[in-house]
Amino acid sequence: MMIMYESLYQKLTTFCPSSSLLAVVASSPKLKSSSFHLRSSLFPPLKRRMATATYPPPPPYYRLYKDYSENPSSAPQPPPPIEGTYVCFGGNYTTEDVLPSLEEQGVPQLYPKDSNVDYKKELRSLNRELQLHILELADVLVGRPSQYAKRIGDISSIFKNLHHLLNSLRPHQARATLIHIMELQIQQRKQAVEDIKRRREEAQRLLKDAFVTLDGQ
Amino acid sequence: MDIISQLQEQVNSIAAITFNAFGTLQRDAPPVQLSPNYPEPPAPAAAAVAAATTTATDGDATAAFPEQPKQLSADLVKAAKQFDALVAALPLSEGGEEAQLKRIAELQVENDVIGQELQKQLEAAEKELKQVQELFGQAADNCLNMKKPE
Repeated sequence: MMIMYESLYQKLTTFCPSSSLLAVVASSPKLKSSSFHLRSSLFPPLKRRMATATYPPPPPYYRLYKDYSENPSSAPQPPPPIEGTYVCFGGNYTTEDVLPSLEEQGVPQLYPKDSNVDYKKELRSLNRELQLHILELADVLVGRPSQYAKRIGDISSIFKNLHHLLNSLRPHQARATLIHIMELQIQQRKQAVEDIKRRREEAQRLLKDAFVTLDGQ
Repeated sequence: MDIISQLQEQVNSIAAITFNAFGTLQRDAPPVQLSPNYPEPPAPAAAAVAAATTTATDGDATAAFPEQPKQLSADLVKAAKQFDALVAALPLSEGGEEAQLKRIAELQVENDVIGQELQKQLEAAEKELKQVQELFGQAADNCLNMKKPE
């Protein structure tokens, strides 16, 4: 909800800097009739029940922005960005995006817990383990079919480890993308500087030539 | 698609092949004789009595049954090999988060320096543009003033 209102704030402040539009909106008879419409749609007689309801009216604090074009500081600032946890449509969300570690999800961690994990080696060894476990499951299903549950648990924990490893590669990927973008930007700026220098020199050369021809006249 | 997403897709497809393989094998498995004391089922006689078309498809399924585990296991091994190939193609160049952060700081400094130089060049170029425009205006005015109307 808060995010919707904040975006509406921004839309109002950027879209209608002139107060004329606000005056039109404030004085239009449509607003009054739309609230009447809303009331009639909320309690319709059973015969005339409408298939759709009208849009809700804009939030009432648009009136505070009447003098925004003359004095931008007379109107209240938009609400600051939310930090920490917030509730949105009944669900709890957090602004800090962190990959929850495997222990928090109750899954045993099958690769060594270092700060510098060798991703390729661990991914390959997890793949081999996965194949072995699948073979084991096939054997168990042939020989002792009632003992499948433990094997399936092992296989699912291997899959969870695999996905966790891949997800923990994402920040590395993000930083590598950032480095790539910055290198591109530096290259473009260098190119622009060269272009400007070149054109300035050419312009000065043209001017000198023009002066020479004028003096020669 | 970037390589990490491809790896994730590959893991999911390995899982899909696994459970599909086990599922089809369990569903399509022909019955197995539990003990040599039990009599042979009268399958050939019943097949001769029943309609020809249905037995043809059933016969195909039971005849082709030993091929299924071979195909499914070949698929599984192929998917695992592809996963290994994708892992080998991972561009994990320099080691560690610190090295990347250091590189980002260096690039930021260089970006700032070159941004300032760009700004300086831009301002000088705009100043020269204004001078040229002024000169051009004066020259145009002089031309206009020199032309006396007949």
